[in-house]
Amino acid sequence: MIYLDYSATTPVSFEVLDSYNRTTKEFIGNANSIHGLGVKSKDLLNSATKQIADLFSVMESEITYTSGATESNNLALIGVALAYHKVGKHIIVSKLEHPSVYKICDYLASIGFEISYVNNDSEGLIDFDDLKKLVREDTILVSICAVNSETGVRQPLKMIRQIIKKENNNTILHSDITQAIGKISINFHDVDLASMSAHKIYGPKGIGLLYKNERVRLEPLLYGSGKSNDLHPGTPALPLIVSFAKAIRIALNDLDKREHFIERLNEKICKELEYYPVIKINKTKYSIPHILNISLMNIRPETFIHAMEEQDVYLSTNTACASGDISTSVMAIYNDKVRASSTIRISLSYLTTTDEINKFLNYFKMVYEKLNILVNK
Amino acid sequence: MEKIILIKYGELSTKKANINFFLKTLKDNVERSLKTEDVTVNYDKGRMFVSLNKDNFDLVVEKLKKVFGIHEIVIGYKIEDTDLNAIKSHLLTLAQEKEFKTFKVETKRSDKTYHLNSMEISRTLGAHLLKNIEGLKVDVHNPELNINVELRKNACIIYFERYEGIGGYPVGTLGKGLLMLSGGIDSPVAGYLAIKRGVKLEGIYFESPPHTSVAAKNKVMDLASKLAVYNNDFKLHVINFTEIQEAIFKNIPHEYLITIMRRMMYRISAIIAKNNRGHILVNGESIGQVASQTLTSMEVINSVVNIPVIRPVACFDKTEIIKLAKEIDTYETSILPFEDCCTIFVPEHPVINPEKIKCEEYEKLIPWEELIYKAIKNHEVIKVSDKKEQYNELL
Repeated sequence: MIYLDYSATTPVSFEVLDSYNRTTKEFIGNANSIHGLGVKSKDLLNSATKQIADLFSVMESEITYTSGATESNNLALIGVALAYHKVGKHIIVSKLEHPSVYKICDYLASIGFEISYVNNDSEGLIDFDDLKKLVREDTILVSICAVNSETGVRQPLKMIRQIIKKENNNTILHSDITQAIGKISINFHDVDLASMSAHKIYGPKGIGLLYKNERVRLEPLLYGSGKSNDLHPGTPALPLIVSFAKAIRIALNDLDKREHFIERLNEKICKELEYYPVIKINKTKYSIPHILNISLMNIRPETFIHAMEEQDVYLSTNTACASGDISTSVMAIYNDKVRASSTIRISLSYLTTTDEINKFLNYFKMVYEKLNILVNK
Repeated sequence: MEKIILIKYGELSTKKANINFFLKTLKDNVERSLKTEDVTVNYDKGRMFVSLNKDNFDLVVEKLKKVFGIHEIVIGYKIEDTDLNAIKSHLLTLAQEKEFKTFKVETKRSDKTYHLNSMEISRTLGAHLLKNIEGLKVDVHNPELNINVELRKNACIIYFERYEGIGGYPVGTLGKGLLMLSGGIDSPVAGYLAIKRGVKLEGIYFESPPHTSVAAKNKVMDLASKLAVYNNDFKLHVINFTEIQEAIFKNIPHEYLITIMRRMMYRISAIIAKNNRGHILVNGESIGQVASQTLTSMEVINSVVNIPVIRPVACFDKTEIIKLAKEIDTYETSILPFEDCCTIFVPEHPVINPEKIKCEEYEKLIPWEELIYKAIKNHEVIKVSDKKEQYNELL
């Protein structure tokens, strides 16, 4: 099998799974119980949270565990909207967000919030002038993802923050960093809120977190008992949290070295794709090498994915979360409908081998030629 | 030109005879606090130098801010060549990277054989900047950029940024003490202040299971681990106090519960301190705060031991203690609501002016010597730095 869909999800690493299993077996107490077993669980929970906080250079109280990035995005956007609706009802998002963000915005629009979509330039970078113009006195939130899930375009969060805060110091900046964490270094002090999930960094599915700067207020979406955290009540998912903490620690190792290696793989593919005159590579100077997006132009991406699947090679169309539609991100950058509706995403990992890429390119050629003949008939 | 960190000693420079011991200890402490940061530490009588192999200056400075015995931390640029022209050109390169309109050059010359004196060096360097960077002005009173130049025997150091150090004496230079750590707000602050004066601390904690919980003990271990940042590590002696406390409760008039209990704690602490080569007891008592901290109470309680008892926060108001607890990040942990030994079995009306003679009479009602012996014999020792490692495999 050649798996090149790491941006959809990653296989759980052995060490992380081991932590999950051991925590499940050895820490049976509810972290909210007062007896010894509960205290032992709580102690481990606190240690896990402390480890994450230290790795991110934030405070432990600024971390809320969620079921994943989608829930984190919901808590961030709706939580801010409900907490600050008396201050303003204006929210700005980019055109390069994860589909879940747009669904949340649709909901917020339906209950009376005004959503603006900030433009980006032809390289995928946020249009700073447009952003500057859009921020108003009643803008309570700006949400811009750190790395776009379809094209890998990376945004300069620090600069974005400076622009926003200059226009309105009270506007909160949220960033979905799901595709960035473990790939590039992130400074949490560049944002007020950040969403991420474990399963993109070789952790288990079903756990994510929201970083919330202590100065930001959020209205909870869930109500219940449990002393651990007001924003996510209930029994803490200790095995998930512990394995998440471990996955984060491992993910932040050797970022540069890994990126360098993946960059080489990415270049290898791009070089080979130059021989296909019709194919367009949706890569700008801000794209990170882990995500490589291309447009087949005259072949339906779904057909191509399934044909590759027959060779035991796994890719995705735009993103697993938006399959079927046209790629909003590619549309936002290139403004070309054919290009945006024929994208496939090849996502790479430090686990990918050069051998796998060679084989992939062979299969690619074979499948492409087969399908291209059909198109040309 | 190498970017380095320079450490200035404060009060230390007044220690004459044993300055080498102080500096050696400080170097060890600096190395220990930076053990994960890949650095090399060197020193002479005037300064300590930290060379970094990675660009993690911010993190290193943050860690150095928690090492006692440091007066000031400076990020500087070391030039191996003391030739004036070399200094001029390096300074210009550095200054061109900065944004400023007004400046001042201040020179310190520890190499007194240099052909120019401090004033002359400052003037020459200042003139060089004025000539080469447009729109600059000298302002000796309120400059935007302070340029410091230190001329040493074989090197010149230029620096702009300086950070205040935490002061105090290097931990361990004044010997060892035992901190009575309760889990409240005051005792961690008292411990911090003692460490600041160079005392290396161990801690003693009294638990009374099942009246007190594991969570309460964990809380004390968390506090100890916060002090460990300053103390290099922290060894905690945990005494099971249940039997003694129950014996007191059953046999002694309740108004004297706290007084007798404190006397027992003092006796145990003094023995533990002595067994571990500690010279003093340290605790968080503050005059008048509670019944056991009136002057007469202190007198009656203190009279059971011969070892000096240092009470760093004795004359602090509660608000002052809380302020410091917040600064050293122990406050949030201290206020977690767990029962400790001193909050269970609290009499409704504890005696405010206890009498020594009565204490001695009452104590005859329980076999305290035997109980104390047993408690000390069975006591548990925890190295709190171990706590993190406990979960290493899982995390």
